[in-house]
Amino acid sequence: MKHTKNHLMFILSLISILLGVEFFMVFDRTTDSYEDGLKKGYSILVVSEVPRSTEQFHTLNSHITQSEAIDREAIVTQYINDISKEAKTKLIGNLPYFYSLHLDSYIDASVIQKIKTDLLKDIEIRKVETFGEHYLAKYRLFMLVKFMLRIFILFLSVVSFFLIIKQMEIWKYAHKDRMQIMELFGATMTHRSGVLFRIALIDAVLSMIIVSTVFAYTKYVWAMQSNIDIVTQHYEKLFRVSDIAVLLLSAFVLVITSVYWVVYSTKGVQE
Amino acid sequence: MPNMITASHLTLAYQNEKGYNEVIKNASFAIRKGEFIFITGPSGSGKSTLLKSLYGEMKPIHGTLHINGADMTNISSGRLQKLRTELGIIFQNYRLINEWTIAKNIVLPLIIAGYNQEIQNAQANRLLRHIKLSELADRYPLELSGGEQQRVGLARAISKNPVIILADEPTGNLDKNSSNVIWDLLESACLQFGSTIIVVTHKIPELFSLPYRHFIIEGKGIYETH
Repeated sequence: MKHTKNHLMFILSLISILLGVEFFMVFDRTTDSYEDGLKKGYSILVVSEVPRSTEQFHTLNSHITQSEAIDREAIVTQYINDISKEAKTKLIGNLPYFYSLHLDSYIDASVIQKIKTDLLKDIEIRKVETFGEHYLAKYRLFMLVKFMLRIFILFLSVVSFFLIIKQMEIWKYAHKDRMQIMELFGATMTHRSGVLFRIALIDAVLSMIIVSTVFAYTKYVWAMQSNIDIVTQHYEKLFRVSDIAVLLLSAFVLVITSVYWVVYSTKGVQE
Repeated sequence: MPNMITASHLTLAYQNEKGYNEVIKNASFAIRKGEFIFITGPSGSGKSTLLKSLYGEMKPIHGTLHINGADMTNISSGRLQKLRTELGIIFQNYRLINEWTIAKNIVLPLIIAGYNQEIQNAQANRLLRHIKLSELADRYPLELSGGEQQRVGLARAISKNPVIILADEPTGNLDKNSSNVIWDLLESACLQFGSTIIVVTHKIPELFSLPYRHFIIEGKGIYETH
C-alpha cells in the first residue's frame, strides 16, 4: 500500500510536468500557425516612383521577404469608368507603382516603424502605409495571450517540480539505509541505485503513456466530436507521434536527475 | 604472519567550526593476519571512530594507516570499494536491509560481487544452518529478535570469507544468552576462515577460549595490555 502510494505520488508529479511539456508543444504549434496566419494577412503598402523587385525591397530592410505589384490598370478601372482608352493609357503611364510587401515574421510595432523609416530613406519611394494602429492592437493581444499561457505552463512546471523534490525526499529516507549498507559492503553507485533507477524508469514510461493517451484521446475522439471550429480546424496540432519521444526524453531526464540527487545525498554512512 | 593492518602515528579527528577535535592521537600498532583483537575503552573514547577509519568511513588527519595493502590516508573511491568487498562488518544496531528477507540479507556481499543465484542460495542455506535460523529464511529483519538479527548480521559479515571482520559492539544490545551465541560464532569464523577479527566492546567475554590481543583506548592513545 505504502509502496503503491509512493509510486502514485511520483507518477502524478511526473504527469503534471509532462502535461506542462505537452501543453507547451501544443500551444507553440497552435500559436505558430496563428502567427503565420497573421503574418500572411498583413502587408505594407508602398508607393514608388520606379518599378522594383523583391530583392531591392529586401536590400532596404531584411524583414521584407515578398513583394507583389498592384495592378495599376485595375486601380484606374475601379475608380474611373467613363474614360477613353487613350486617356486611360496616359493616366496609367503617369501613375506611380504600388506594391504590397510581406514580412518574414509577425514582428513588434517598433520594428514595423523601422521598416517604414528604412523604406522612406529611398528618395524614389513616395509613400509607405503600415496600417500601424490595427496591427498594434492585434499584435498586443496576441502577445498577451502567448505570455499568459507561458506563465501558466511555467507555474504548473515549477509546482510539479517541487512535488518531485518532495517525493525524492521521501525516497531518500525510504532507501537511505539500504544504499548506505550496500555502500559499506563495497557496492558501486550503479549497484546501490539500481532499484531506484528501475522504479523511476518504470514510472517515467507509465507517466509518458498516460499523458500520450490523454492527448491522443483529445485529438482523435474529443476534438472530432467537439464541433468547435478552432479545435476541429487545428486538431492535428493537438498531438503528434514525435511528442512521445519528447515526453519520454523529458521524463527520463527528470527521473535520472532525481535518482542521482537521491544517491549522492545519501552518500556516506550515518549512525 | 604478515601484517594485515598497520598504523603509524595515527591521528583521527572530527572537524568542527573551531578546527579539529582529536579523538585518537599519535597511535601506532600492527595487527597480523588471523589475529583476534579486542578493543576496549570507556564510552566516547574513540573505539567506534577507530573502527570507522578501518572501513574507510573516516580518513586519518596525521600518520599512516594501511589495511590489507591499501593506504587509507590517500585511498581512491574505487580502491575503497574493492577493500570493502574484502571486509565483513558487524554493527551494534545490526544494520540489516529491512525490505529484504533474511536469506537475501546474508548474501549481500555475494550479490555485490556478482555471484549467480545458485551460489547465493547455497551459501545462504549453509549459513542459515550455521546460525541455526534455517526456518526463518523468508522472514524479514523486523520480524526477528535482536539476538536473531545479530546472528544474521554476523552471517552476512562472513558470507564471502572476508580477510578482516570488524565488529562494533556486536553484543551491545543483546542479553547474555544471545551474546554467548555471537561470541561462539565469531570464534568459529576465526578458526574456520582464518580471518583477522577486530571487535570493539565494553567488556571481553569471560568464557572466550581463543588466544587474543587486547588494545585499550584511553586519553586519545591506544595501548596494548599484556
